[in-house]
Amino acid sequence: MTDTAQLQLKNVTKRFPGVIALNNVSFDLQAGEIHSICGENGAGKSTLIKILSGIHAQGSYEGEIFIDGKVHAFATTADAESAGISVIYQELALVQEMTVAENIFLGAEPTRFGRIDWNQVYSDTRKLLDQYNLKLDPTALIVDLGVGEQQLVEIVKALSKNSRILLLDEPTAALTEVEVEILLDIVRGLRKSGITCVYISHKLDEVFAISDRITVLRDGESIATLRASETDKNEVIRHMVGREITDLFPRRVSTPGEVKLSVNNLNVSDRNRPHPVLTDVSFELRGGEVLGIGGLMGAGRTELLMHLFGAYGERESGEVLLDGKPLSAHSPGTAIERGMILISEDRKRYGLFLEQHIGFNLSIASLKTFKKQLLIDRNSEIRENQTFFDLLGIRAPGLETVVGSLSGGNQQKAVIGKGLMTEPSVVFLDEPTRGIDVGAKLEVYEMINKLTSEGKAVLLVSSELPELMGMSDRMIILSEGQIGGVFTREDASQEAILAAAMKHHR
Amino acid sequence: MQNKISIRNFSLLIALILIWLSFALMSDTFLSARNLSLLSIELAVTATLALGMLLVLLPRQIDLSVGSGVGLIGGIGSVLVFHYHWPAIAAMAAGVVVALIIWSLMGTLIVRQKVPAFIITLGGLLSFKGLFWLVIQNSTVPVTHGTEINLYSALTTYYLPAWGGYALAALIVGALVLSHLKSRRQRLKHNFQVDDGEMTFLKLFVAAQIILLFVIVLNQFRGVPLSVVILGVVAFVVHVITQHTPFGRHLYAIGGNEEAALLSGIPVQRVIITAFALMGGIVALTGYMQTAYAGASTTTVGDLMELDAIAACVIGGTSLNGGRGKVVGVLFGALIMASLLNGMTLMAVAPEFKYVARGVVLVLAVWMDVALSK
Repeated sequence: MTDTAQLQLKNVTKRFPGVIALNNVSFDLQAGEIHSICGENGAGKSTLIKILSGIHAQGSYEGEIFIDGKVHAFATTADAESAGISVIYQELALVQEMTVAENIFLGAEPTRFGRIDWNQVYSDTRKLLDQYNLKLDPTALIVDLGVGEQQLVEIVKALSKNSRILLLDEPTAALTEVEVEILLDIVRGLRKSGITCVYISHKLDEVFAISDRITVLRDGESIATLRASETDKNEVIRHMVGREITDLFPRRVSTPGEVKLSVNNLNVSDRNRPHPVLTDVSFELRGGEVLGIGGLMGAGRTELLMHLFGAYGERESGEVLLDGKPLSAHSPGTAIERGMILISEDRKRYGLFLEQHIGFNLSIASLKTFKKQLLIDRNSEIRENQTFFDLLGIRAPGLETVVGSLSGGNQQKAVIGKGLMTEPSVVFLDEPTRGIDVGAKLEVYEMINKLTSEGKAVLLVSSELPELMGMSDRMIILSEGQIGGVFTREDASQEAILAAAMKHHR
Repeated sequence: MQNKISIRNFSLLIALILIWLSFALMSDTFLSARNLSLLSIELAVTATLALGMLLVLLPRQIDLSVGSGVGLIGGIGSVLVFHYHWPAIAAMAAGVVVALIIWSLMGTLIVRQKVPAFIITLGGLLSFKGLFWLVIQNSTVPVTHGTEINLYSALTTYYLPAWGGYALAALIVGALVLSHLKSRRQRLKHNFQVDDGEMTFLKLFVAAQIILLFVIVLNQFRGVPLSVVILGVVAFVVHVITQHTPFGRHLYAIGGNEEAALLSGIPVQRVIITAFALMGGIVALTGYMQTAYAGASTTTVGDLMELDAIAACVIGGTSLNGGRGKVVGVLFGALIMASLLNGMTLMAVAPEFKYVARGVVLVLAVWMDVALSK
C-alpha cells in the first residue's frame, strides 16, 4: 500500500525548546483520497502542516518527506508549492478590496509586454470556476462575499497553481451548516478530479462525512490511522483524548427562575445595511436557563447579542427589559454594570489584549471593584485574578504569562474569566467553543451548567447544531433577522431547525 | 520577549554612553557643570512633552500639534504678561485653560467624528502656528519686563539652593527604596518572580549614586533647576496614572485592542478625550518652560518639538501601534534626544546637519521599534 503513496512522511520528529511537537510520526497520503487529521489542540496538527508546507524548513526537523516515491526537501513555502502542495488556512489571506479574479492571480499575474493581461486573468478564472463547478463571479469584490465563498476563492487560488495536494486547516471554523455542506461537496468534487486533500477539523461530523481515512494525533504522536468506514466517532474521540467521553453535551437542566431579560418586538437597523438587521424579535430569558440562538450566518444572531449589549445598531422600536427595568441607548459599560456580559466568538478581535499578560486581561473589565480612592489596589486585584486563574484551570506558568502565547483553549478561558469576574447575572456566549478542542469544550459546557445552577441566565449562540441542541433548554432560530421558529429541547430536530432557519429567506 | 526588552534597554544604555563619550571627546565643555545644567533644563522640556505624548500614543493616537501648541500657549502667556501686564500666575492659568479647551476639542473631534488623530493634529500643527504668530504679532515678546523675575521666567532660571538639592535627592532615593521594597514584598507574597535581593540592592545603590552625583554636579553650577523638579513631578504623576489607575489600564487596553476594550465596558471615547486633555495641560506647561528658556516668545519657539517628543517615546520603547510604553523608557529616550541636540549645539553644528541628524535618529528609533517588536 505504501508503495503507491503520493506523499509520505517517514519518522518525522520536530523539537521546539522544551517540547517535542512531533515524535517519530509517519504518515502517508494516497492519490485522490481525503485524509483527515484529528487531534486536540497541541497534538501536533499545525506542526505537521507547517512541515508539509515548508514553513518549518528541511533541517529544522528529523525525518524525510517523499513525494511519488522521491525524497523532497522544502526549504521554503515556494518549494512546497512547486511540489504541488498548497495550504488553505483558517484565517483567510485575501485582499478585501480586490476582485475574485485579482485575488486568484495575485502574485502570478499573466502579463503581455509587461502589462497585466486582464482579459486572461478573468477568462482563466472563469475556466477554473467552471471546471470545479463553482458559482462565483470573477468580478465580485471579496469584501462583498460571505466567509464561505471567500474560502472557496482561497481553494481556487490554490488550484490555479496546479496543486495536487490541498491541506485544509479548519476550513469550516467560520462557516454555517449550509456553507459547510457546500464546502464538503466541493472537497468531494476535488477528489473526483484527482486532487488529494488533507482535512483538519475539530468537527467530527464533517470528518466522517467526507474522509476516506482518518489519522489521530495525540501529544505529537500518531496514535492510529483508521478507515472512516470501519470506525466511529467514539473510537476517534477515545484515541484523541486517550480516554472515553461518554456524554458530549453534559447539560444539567436547572429549574428556571425569575425573568431576567425580556425583549419585546425589537427592531434594529444598521446604517450600513439596506435591510433591517432584526425585525420584531421577542423572547424572554429566565435565570437558570440556557436559551440557544440558532440560524445561518448573517441571520442576525451576533447582531442581536451585540445590540442587547449596547455595542451595535440603532433601535427603531421595541423594548428591552433587564430585571424589569428598561435598557436602551446604553454602552457596554452600562450593560456590564447592570449585570450583563458578552463573551465573543472572535476572542482575538473582541476579547483579548494579546500583548498583555493574563492578569491584565482577567481584571480589565472589573477594575472598578479594585479601586481604592483613585488607585487600583494591586493586592486585591492579584488575589481575584489568582482565584479565576485557578477556577478556570488556565494552563500557564502564571498570571504574568503573556496571553498571546497561550493555546486557543486557554485563551478562551481567559476571555471567559474576564467576563465572569464582572459578576454577571446574564451571560451572552457567542460561539464559545469555536476552534477549541474536545476537552476544552467539555470544560466550557461544565461552566455553562455551573452558571445556570447558580441561577444565572445564559444566551448561547452556536453554529453547531449538535451543540445548540445539546446545551440549550429552549431555542429560538433566527432567519434573516426574524424569528423563524422556537423549540424546546425535546421537540427540536436538525431538520426542523434548518427549516426554521430558512423560513424567511429573501 | 523578556530577552528582547533587555536587549533594547541595554542597547539604549550603550547608545547613551557612546553619545556622551563622543561629545565629551569632541568638546571639553560638554561635561562641564554649566553645560550639564543646561542639558538638564533641555531634558526637562523635551521629556515633559514626551510624557504627554506617551499618554496619547498608548491608546494608539498621535499628536503632531504639540510643537505649535508649545509656541502658541507660551505666546499667550508672554503677551498677557508683557503687553497686558497680567500677573504671571494669572497669565499662565489663562493659557492652561485655553490649552485644556483646545485639546479636549481636538480629542472630541477625533473620537466623535472619527477623523484620524494624524489629520486633526496635522491641522492643529498648521493652524496653531498661524495663531501663534497672530498672537505675538510676529514679534519678540519677552516673558517678563526687563530683568524682573516672575513665576514665568523663574521656570528655567530658578535653581534650588544646594541644601535643597541634597534634600530632594534624599527624598527621591528614600521613596525609590520604599516603593521597591513594597512592590517586592507584594510580588513575593503572590509568588511572582523577583530579582534576588543582591540584584535589587545593586540596582537601588546604582540609582542612588547616579542621583547623588547628578545633584553634586548641578550644585557646582547653580543648583538643581526648578524645571527638573517640575519634570520629576510630571514623571511621577504620569507613572502613577499609567501604572496604578483604571484610566491608565484603559489606555493600554485601547491601544492593545480597541474593539475588545469597548466590549470590556471601557468608555473608549471618554478615555481618549481625557488623554488629549492631559496632553493639552502638558503642552501648556512645556510651552511655559520652553518659552522661559528662550527668554521670550519668538516665531520659532516650539518648532519640531512634536517630532522630538515622538522620537523620545519611540526610542524609549513606546509602540506607535499603541498598548506599549513606560515612563522610564520615555525619560531615557528624551535624555538621548536632549543630549544629541545639546551636544550638536555646543559644537556649533550647522542647522542643516542638525536636521539631518534628528531625522536619522527618528528613523533609526522607529526601525528599532519595528525590528524588536517582531
